[in-house]
Amino acid sequence: MSQIDETEAHPTVMENSTDEYRFQSFDPDTQMLLKTALKDPSSVDLEKVSNIIVDQSLKDQVFSKEAGRICYTIVQAEAKQSDGNVFRRNLLNRLQREFKDREDTRARSIHEWVCYVTFICNIFDYLKVNNMPMVALVHPVYDCMMRLAQPDALKNEEEVDCLVLQLHRIGEQLEKANSQRMDQLFFLLRDGFLLQEGLTSMTRLLLLEILEFRAGGWMLSSTANKYYYSEISD
Amino acid sequence: MSTRTPDRRTDATSSRREHTRSGPSRWSHCRKRGVDGSMRTDEHERTEGRHSSFTTPESSGPVSRCAASSDWGSQVEDNEMRRDLHRDLQRYRRRILAADGPHRERKASSGSSGSCDSKEEDSLETDEGVLLRRQKQISYGKNTLAYDRYIREVPKHLRQPGIHPKTPNKFRKYSRRSWDQQIKLWRVKLHAWDPPTDNGTQEDNEEQLDLGDIMDIELDFPTLAEPGPQAARSGVMEDPEGTGTPVKVQRMDAAAASDVV
Repeated sequence: MSQIDETEAHPTVMENSTDEYRFQSFDPDTQMLLKTALKDPSSVDLEKVSNIIVDQSLKDQVFSKEAGRICYTIVQAEAKQSDGNVFRRNLLNRLQREFKDREDTRARSIHEWVCYVTFICNIFDYLKVNNMPMVALVHPVYDCMMRLAQPDALKNEEEVDCLVLQLHRIGEQLEKANSQRMDQLFFLLRDGFLLQEGLTSMTRLLLLEILEFRAGGWMLSSTANKYYYSEISD
Repeated sequence: MSTRTPDRRTDATSSRREHTRSGPSRWSHCRKRGVDGSMRTDEHERTEGRHSSFTTPESSGPVSRCAASSDWGSQVEDNEMRRDLHRDLQRYRRRILAADGPHRERKASSGSSGSCDSKEEDSLETDEGVLLRRQKQISYGKNTLAYDRYIREVPKHLRQPGIHPKTPNKFRKYSRRSWDQQIKLWRVKLHAWDPPTDNGTQEDNEEQLDLGDIMDIELDFPTLAEPGPQAARSGVMEDPEGTGTPVKVQRMDAAAASDVV
């Protein structure tokens, strides 16, 4: 039985001590722009910045995990500097446009679709309003999760992986925001695990783990932890 | 009645809304509750016979009536504003109760026009929709260069009533027209602090004022729509600045009243 990569599956702790963001994937001018946006948001074109960040997040899954933190910093900086909301508004509306086209995106590229889901969940996690998740994103995030739980998606390990990873990170918050939809989601996951033919063993492992994870109140018992995450000697 | 909506700096689109309840969105047809948790009535039926879009002075073309509420940016902002409002309301309540406490005495006559704190709780506006709308109007006014310059130039303790504009108190009960009038007057007064243009004259950057509105202010007085404690007509005029206790105004006949605004 293959081992699940621990760093991926466990909820990440917010690293805010360093200001090192992964900007290497951008050209120097863009890097400069982003760094300026973090420090002095009103001096840059925030709509452009939000588009750059979204575009990159849709291509680069590693960046899309990082992007939430960057966006949070810019939002805070703009609010503090000029009491403005331009960046957040542009970001959210762009996210909304991508959401509308998600089925087309998925048809075009599973990778891009997965990047989008990772990104929107990341935003949901980081961009809080008064320490509460943004209510406007709750249903869209659930819609994405439900899509990933459909039979055609469960056939792709890439999509299943994304689904369980996001549930590890934000499942508890999502459930608190709307438990009914979480129940519905898990009906699908249970059915998929039990009934769907042709799922790889990895997929079934991931599904079983997430089922146990939620059943345990969004954490694994120590024995389950040992089962899924310890090295199994042959 | 004017269809003009408050000017908005960052966004050209505006919509005309009476309530804060979220309008139809992508997912609303299958949801019993709106985004803010309140039960949705069948708004689709209600909205059928009405125009679905207006061209407002601020927009470049017809704007959907519900555009503002169905985009995520606005939803999040509205939500945030709602929370801030509730917090402000609690704070305001505490403040007036504190001022009230040691000297609580019901005055026999209700004709006093001085600040009368024991009356504040009675005339407290708590309707969320109203408060939200008022807060937006205030925010538009405060989000101007004129306001920035004003608050920097005149510290609060040096403000003189009548000369210096004072933000209308959104927590007091006023009729819709009365409130809108106060906001207009407030914003007109704020224009005195507009930044001068290069050629030395002051220019209104924010909003083209309809002079008709200013002329109207002189002639007619707003009436109160809701039944308050029916006081005797004392002939005290509505204080558009909101510096005194609101309320007793002369009843106008309908024809004259309808000319205002």
